[in-house]
Amino acid sequence: MMLQYILRRLLSAIPVLFGILLVTFALARMIPGDPCRAMLGEKATQATCDRFIREKGLDKPIHEQFFIYMKDIARGDFGTSLRFSQPVTRILGERLPTTVELSFSALLISMTVGIPLGIISAVRHNSWVDVLTMVWANIGVSMPVFWLGLMLAFVFSLLLKDTFLWLPPSGRVSAGMDTTAFYVAWNLNLPESGFLRAIAEFIGRLNILNSLLTGNWELLRDSVRHLILPAVALGTIPMALIARMTRSSMLDVLGQDYVRTARAKGVRMNQVILKHAFRNALLPIITVLGLSLGTLLGGAVLTETIFGLSGVGRILYEAITARDYAIVQGFTVVIAVFFVTLNLIVDISYAYIDPRIRLN
Amino acid sequence: MMNQTPPTIAKLDADAISLESVSLWNITWRRLFKRKSSLVGLGIIIALVFIALTAQWIAPYDPLQVLIGIEDVKMRQAPCIHLLGCPQDQPQHIMGIDGNVRDQFSRLLFGTRLSLIVGFSTVTFAIVIGTVLGALGGYFGGWIDNIIMRVMDVLLAFPSLLLAIAIVTVLGPGLINALLAIGIVSIPSYARVVRASVLSVREMDYVSATRALGGGTFQILFMRIMPNALTPLIVQGTLGIGTAILDAAALSFLGLGAQPPTPEWGAMLGSERNQVFTAPHLVFFPGFAIMLTVLAFNLLGDGLRDALDPRLK
Amino acid sequence: MKSKIFVLFSLLVVASMLLAACGGGTGPGASDDVQDSGPFVAKKLEAPDCDSTGIIKAVEANDQYTVTFTLCQSDPAFLSKIAFSPFAIYPEEWIERTAGETTRTSEGLEKPVGTGPYMISEWKRGDSVNFAAFPGYWGEQPFAKTLVLRWQSEAAARLLELQSGTVDGIDNLGPTDFDVVRADSNLTLVEREALNIFYIGMTNTFAPWDDVRVRQAIAYGIDRQRIVDNFYPAGSEIASHFTPCSIPNGCVGDAWYEFDAAKGRELLAEAGFPDGFTTKIYYRDVVRGYLPQVPNVAQDVQAQLKQNLNIDAEIVVMESGAFIEASSTGQLDGLYFLGWGADYPHITNFLDYHFGPANTQFGVAFPEIYEKLNQGAQIADPKQSEPLYIEANNAIRELVPMVAVAHGGSGTAYRNDVTVPQASPLTNEQFAVSNPGGRGVFVFMQNAEPISLFCADETDGESLRACDQVMEALYGYEVNGTAVVPMLAEVCTPNEDLTVWTCTLRQGVKFHDGTTFDANDVVTTFTMGLDASSPLHKGNTNVWEYYDYLWGLMNKPAE
Repeated sequence: MMLQYILRRLLSAIPVLFGILLVTFALARMIPGDPCRAMLGEKATQATCDRFIREKGLDKPIHEQFFIYMKDIARGDFGTSLRFSQPVTRILGERLPTTVELSFSALLISMTVGIPLGIISAVRHNSWVDVLTMVWANIGVSMPVFWLGLMLAFVFSLLLKDTFLWLPPSGRVSAGMDTTAFYVAWNLNLPESGFLRAIAEFIGRLNILNSLLTGNWELLRDSVRHLILPAVALGTIPMALIARMTRSSMLDVLGQDYVRTARAKGVRMNQVILKHAFRNALLPIITVLGLSLGTLLGGAVLTETIFGLSGVGRILYEAITARDYAIVQGFTVVIAVFFVTLNLIVDISYAYIDPRIRLN
Repeated sequence: MMNQTPPTIAKLDADAISLESVSLWNITWRRLFKRKSSLVGLGIIIALVFIALTAQWIAPYDPLQVLIGIEDVKMRQAPCIHLLGCPQDQPQHIMGIDGNVRDQFSRLLFGTRLSLIVGFSTVTFAIVIGTVLGALGGYFGGWIDNIIMRVMDVLLAFPSLLLAIAIVTVLGPGLINALLAIGIVSIPSYARVVRASVLSVREMDYVSATRALGGGTFQILFMRIMPNALTPLIVQGTLGIGTAILDAAALSFLGLGAQPPTPEWGAMLGSERNQVFTAPHLVFFPGFAIMLTVLAFNLLGDGLRDALDPRLK
Repeated sequence: MKSKIFVLFSLLVVASMLLAACGGGTGPGASDDVQDSGPFVAKKLEAPDCDSTGIIKAVEANDQYTVTFTLCQSDPAFLSKIAFSPFAIYPEEWIERTAGETTRTSEGLEKPVGTGPYMISEWKRGDSVNFAAFPGYWGEQPFAKTLVLRWQSEAAARLLELQSGTVDGIDNLGPTDFDVVRADSNLTLVEREALNIFYIGMTNTFAPWDDVRVRQAIAYGIDRQRIVDNFYPAGSEIASHFTPCSIPNGCVGDAWYEFDAAKGRELLAEAGFPDGFTTKIYYRDVVRGYLPQVPNVAQDVQAQLKQNLNIDAEIVVMESGAFIEASSTGQLDGLYFLGWGADYPHITNFLDYHFGPANTQFGVAFPEIYEKLNQGAQIADPKQSEPLYIEANNAIRELVPMVAVAHGGSGTAYRNDVTVPQASPLTNEQFAVSNPGGRGVFVFMQNAEPISLFCADETDGESLRACDQVMEALYGYEVNGTAVVPMLAEVCTPNEDLTVWTCTLRQGVKFHDGTTFDANDVVTTFTMGLDASSPLHKGNTNVWEYYDYLWGLMNKPAE
């Protein structure tokens, strides 16, 4: 039964993947202008750009380019950046840790603040705590993330400049910080390339994780301080969403008969909350978490721009401006596939938790 | 004998029915009014609509008027409010002067128009198209449903802001193109809502009854099934207006939406973002306006959701 | 009979020797003699003829420390050009080793090897480029043993980092930041001389721009001082001529029109537009040194056109690439905003590019202008060519192909204790000569990340600035100035008509990888950059923009 459901979902994912590739390619190529003029600006000449376009194979008929693109993807080749002459996968590998670190921190903040707030306001329904929380949650959801980021920077980087509360306004680490990767510090003799190396490099670029692994407390402190403002800015909207969702699903559950029964039977309130109500309220919360990742990646573009972080969103946005087709196509496909996979996992876990869904 | 259809009974029924619908509306409104937050939201929205309609008369200055040579004000000057102590000989600009030497308060007021238009038009566009798609898919099922849902999945697979950026880049910067992009990106959620509603009532008795009585497909769809979808649509739509305004502000912030000299809040914020430390009033006020507007729609949407929720009856 | 055969035979031998000696050789391109680790074997790069190349015909190593450049035409700007960053010299072994299949290898793009005071120690992508002092440098050791280049696109954030002390210097202050830095006693402001021009273009193949009176009306009708005062940072000035005055012959001839709205309206009425007309203002929303606040200026120009000349101009923002393509091919039917930043400090870089016969961006080119320019480009001494440029500038003023508006200054700021604070007009800061208050680490923050560090094939200033710390060319530019100074060459002297330049190279210079600098490195570098048929001609995007545009590539493949 479960297997059938999984198979069905997987099968329906295939046309979606193809659709993603098609839409990505089409959008990227429909952008007016060409990479040559984007790169050279007012210094571009017709002759130079003609030659450039010919050499990069961009003058071939569009359907031919699409077939080449599909063929390459099938081989796992996401193309080479026009500007950097590096494989897109390599660039992605370099930028992904920044975005992952930022998104995770934002999500962490939103969960650790949002869920307890939601629970408290559900339990103390209609009290001042509830009202205050919901007002705060509503405001949080309504704030433009770029405005919040700028205001936070204003307060913590300028107003609180000479205090201990000062936080840096941009970047991931301070200049000259030692960011030696753990596999270098531990003298692991990893092969120069290949899967193991890629994983190790990825982890090595996650500054917080890396600093924990190498015991580099300076780096830990520095990266955390750099991460606070962007993570708070990015995490505010998901936090508000999670708080509201937690509250409403907790309210739903708390109103159920079996909860009343449990309380009537004398089970302590805390136990009721944690053991029974919360677990059943989990389902919608998981949905919101999944959806939040979408907001995070989209909002990450703005946050990354304001705080000067070179993450996936930022590079993608710059690539769109520069008409770097390979990066635009490659990054978008990777992000989209990631989302589809995430949705799949969420759906499957839904079906696992709630058998009625499988029968649909 | 034919004329002897018991008119009294029919009339009674009609009365009873209309009484019921009246009280349904009544209940909804009453419940809406009971929640203070939704009242606040509604109040703000009414105020915004009022401002949008009367901006020409309320605003002290023309939003496009460059004041160089007309008044002795400096670019990006801080707010001067006579009530709060600003000397009387200086012209009053309660929200200061912007980067092109124009009165920010007037621009903010005119920006209300744009934001409301942005919100309503994108949501309307998305609802219309989404409803058609969702209804078709939900009602007919089969391969139509499959195709429509796959297309929606593809749209949803991209982070909405990035997709909107890509679409606007393709179409060219401008407010209309930004609206189109945001509208397109919002379609899937409405399609899903409508489809779910359609699915839930498709097999119900009163639908079968209509079919048995010889009703055509469209009649069934629009007379019987759609009203069911109305409630979640209203809720989703109201909340969606807030999201649309935020997305439009984000696009304008990036320079892709409203183009100068249009007084759009996101554009005002974006063009002054590097002056956040030297002229914070140029960043604070437009952002606050966005937040307030989106908050109002969110509060109203929440209130509507609770008020219209059948489970809370 | 025998003597005849003998004579014929000797003639044949002599002829083949002659043929082998002068041009042609066994084929196009460099004659790569096999190099042993032994006596110096001179290399040579030569084009078969002047049709298959641009300005440079041959680059030849006469001996270990002498190189001769033979040109196809006289080039008075040779020294200004040869000092430009992309023409820095690489070691020949490195060039050969890092030439990949279609592009340079990753090592080639990320770890350039040069003769400069700093070496690249690490490029942390997305974060910073770290440099370490080169112990074997031929000149003065850098004050700071470590140099860190960082970047941040938001001007406000850059200033904040400077104020917090996390960086020692920043580039491109925002327009409101100049006053802040001046008021801050811990910071020093350095204004960067404006080597650029912002102009409003008009394409004379479209009405009403085909009427010179309309174009002149626009020139009279815009108050450029108001634009500069309000939307440009300190150090900017209205343009008296197209070319900035610090460039020889830039400002000779009559100055641009004074603002006179009445005269403008009069001219419009003469041209048949007494009530103005409707048009468009095109621009791309990209910040450039010549136009830092694009939307603001556009709105002001729109307001001014209405106010002064009763012209209704609709603002149309275009995507950068589309805008460039449309403007450069003369397709825009309204006013458009564009500008130009100097590549090398010579008047040919400004005037010849824009008003030469091949440029269609203003519509039909004016022979009154380009004939003078062509003549002027043949003369080396600016004093001698001055009368020609006076005529050219006056013709530009008369014919108004565009309205020259402003030279956009910019500024850098440093902490007070940084010695020799730099704001090079060519954005060619050499941080080795600055001492960051004795701290040993110099941190500089620029606008964006370098695209690659293989500057022979790059055009963005951020990449060039990084390379400038590590690489050196035959000549260089003085600190904070545009005058050329000898660098890897002790001197380069031209012949009578400036077609042959002989450079005596500096001896005892080492590259970062330990190899010695000699004439073959120069020849191999130029082979790599100029000779499109060479296997060494592998770069990043392979556009080789500056090699192509300033010199002209050799042996370009048939179109």
